[in-house]
Amino acid sequence: MSMDSTLASDPQAIATGIWHPPHSSREVPARLLDVGGSLIVLSDEEGDASKRLAWGIRSDIDVSQRVGSIPRRIVFGNESVFETRDNDAVDAYLQSRGEKRSSFVHRLEIVRPRLIAFALAVFVLASIIYRYAVPALVEVAVLVTPPVVPKMMSAGTLKTLDRVTFGPSKLLEAQQAEIRDDFTRITANAEGGAGRYHLNFRDGGLIGPNAFALPDGNLVLTDQLVELAGGDKEMITAVLGHEIGHVEYKHSLRQLYSAAGVAGLVLLIAGDVGSGVHDVLTQGGGLLALSYSRQAEAQADRRSVELMLAAGEDPAALSRFFDLLEAKLDDHGDTSMLSTHPGTPERKQAILDYARELQEKQARTGG
Amino acid sequence: MATVEQSYPLGGKPFFQRASFTGNASEYFGIWIVNILLTIVTLGIYSAWAKVRRNRYFYGNTALLGHSFEYHAKGKQILIGRLIVFGFLIVVNILSHVAPLAVLAIWPVMLVVFPWFLMRGLRFNARVTSYRNVRFDFVGTYGGAFKAIFLGTLVTVISVGLLSPVATRWFYKYVFDNLRYGDRPFSTEPRLGALYEAFITVVAIVIAGLVILGLFGAAAGGFSGNSMGRGMGSISLWHWMIVLIFPIYILAGLYYRATVRNIIWSAAMIDHRHQLRSDLGRRRYAWIAISNVVVTLVTLGLMRPWAAVRMQVFLTEHTAVHVDGEIGVVFDQIRSTGNAISAEYLDVDGFDFGF
Repeated sequence: MSMDSTLASDPQAIATGIWHPPHSSREVPARLLDVGGSLIVLSDEEGDASKRLAWGIRSDIDVSQRVGSIPRRIVFGNESVFETRDNDAVDAYLQSRGEKRSSFVHRLEIVRPRLIAFALAVFVLASIIYRYAVPALVEVAVLVTPPVVPKMMSAGTLKTLDRVTFGPSKLLEAQQAEIRDDFTRITANAEGGAGRYHLNFRDGGLIGPNAFALPDGNLVLTDQLVELAGGDKEMITAVLGHEIGHVEYKHSLRQLYSAAGVAGLVLLIAGDVGSGVHDVLTQGGGLLALSYSRQAEAQADRRSVELMLAAGEDPAALSRFFDLLEAKLDDHGDTSMLSTHPGTPERKQAILDYARELQEKQARTGG
Repeated sequence: MATVEQSYPLGGKPFFQRASFTGNASEYFGIWIVNILLTIVTLGIYSAWAKVRRNRYFYGNTALLGHSFEYHAKGKQILIGRLIVFGFLIVVNILSHVAPLAVLAIWPVMLVVFPWFLMRGLRFNARVTSYRNVRFDFVGTYGGAFKAIFLGTLVTVISVGLLSPVATRWFYKYVFDNLRYGDRPFSTEPRLGALYEAFITVVAIVIAGLVILGLFGAAAGGFSGNSMGRGMGSISLWHWMIVLIFPIYILAGLYYRATVRNIIWSAAMIDHRHQLRSDLGRRRYAWIAISNVVVTLVTLGLMRPWAAVRMQVFLTEHTAVHVDGEIGVVFDQIRSTGNAISAEYLDVDGFDFGF
């Protein structure tokens, strides 16, 4: 369809359809014409044929964007509507007026081979974001987080745990002092020095034997873990070294941010995957977070070895803790998708290997 | 118009006409993949416009009595709504890490605010939907939403679920009785007995599933109980029990959803004269829902457009209306250019009317 809008007089038929008066469901069969650049709707109803129903200049008229092949709405200034299924004719008319932009998205969407390229682009972009952009953003977020945030996170968590499950420690003063001495010795070589870390003794209550680090440098050691260790003070120190590793690497902050990043990514690509698949993806994000946490545990294990060695104690003392776990808690499990910590035998081996490696290096440089 | 109308006599009495869906998977695939691509490229901002295009496609292809629906929301409105919700979630998340106990205090506030969100969401979705150039509207109040959501949940919890059909009835009566098509009201009078029947059926399915599972579990436990110690064996048995309970729960949920839709819609009227009807097959509905998820996952999401269209075809073709005499000319009560619509931006996902 070619037309010259400078030649004013000839009416040019565009499409046929129906016309609704303003705010009414009444409908009149009608056709849309162009008369010298303005649009006009003429009735096709019997007895009323060619009666003018609506007219207006293009700038007062809203033409809905094309989506698939759903009816097109042409809304006039008085809010009466001309509706037609002849999308191609409307597009051709708009194009002849030089309005190409209006159908840009629709032209992308038309089924043709390049949609395959689009699908590939989606996969590539999504994996690039997951592989590079999310970790990079996590690093940036960790860097710009002011130290007050981990401090507040920690204070809140410890207060909550104290209220919910913890009780005051029942360990003897002397016992506590002994552990604290060892602790101070290994923190001397940790990032930020001994002043950055503070050891808290608690009765574990529901939590039982455990040791964990809060991001601000507060460490918690439960009586039950000390009990479990028997007389092996060195092993407790090694466990604390592991927790110091978590603090140094800011693992909890990193984990928080990467979980948020993965959730954001799922939201981004999952705009329309249906609620069922959405749930599955969210759970999948949880599994990814677990695999991150395995990596973090391995990192903290190595830090324990380094700190113990620097303090002149047995660098592989942490491996004894895993012996204990195997014996008492019967954990022979291999690493699986669902575990937060790497499998115990695997971790033990990694610790022994790393300890040997460091000792050899030390022997070489020392001698 | 290229719509297929199927009519079918029901018991020879009122004459129902089925709705139809004219979209197809390949056409929607183009819209869908471009939506995702542009959303990623614009770092999520396009998702609001993507939603508009998606809804326009689905509404515009849903035809009843030869006329299709239209979705009028603008991308900008939806973007503003999403930014509000997003900002709110960030604040709650930060707060939950800084002061876990403070979040406990937020929950009561949320419970009071939530009905308001629901009410505004329903209103938004009604007002941006039109049929034959006439907009829908929703005139429900906060008080009604409070009863439908808050009291409904409370009653369900206090009665250990026994009164949940009552709560379901409150909720859908709130939604339908406040819905307007132009100046014509919707209404629904679902029978409580029918809802209880659906509820009991679902509970029976779950109990039967659990009993069978329990018998299997006991047999397996008795078998291995002697050889294995207290540790691993019993843990993995529990693990498997939980994994198996999950599908039973999902199946029961899908059955309930289909049955409730049938009951509510079939009890609904427009203008107290024109009857609506829904006749979803429960098993077919569950099959479509579950196989859709499986197919989508197996194809890494690429078959999602096919799955979405398949479900929509099923839902629309099992929805029908019986027109009593003439509908006549209906006048729009909403002025699309006025404040009524531009002030709406609370688009709560998941509270569509299902048109």
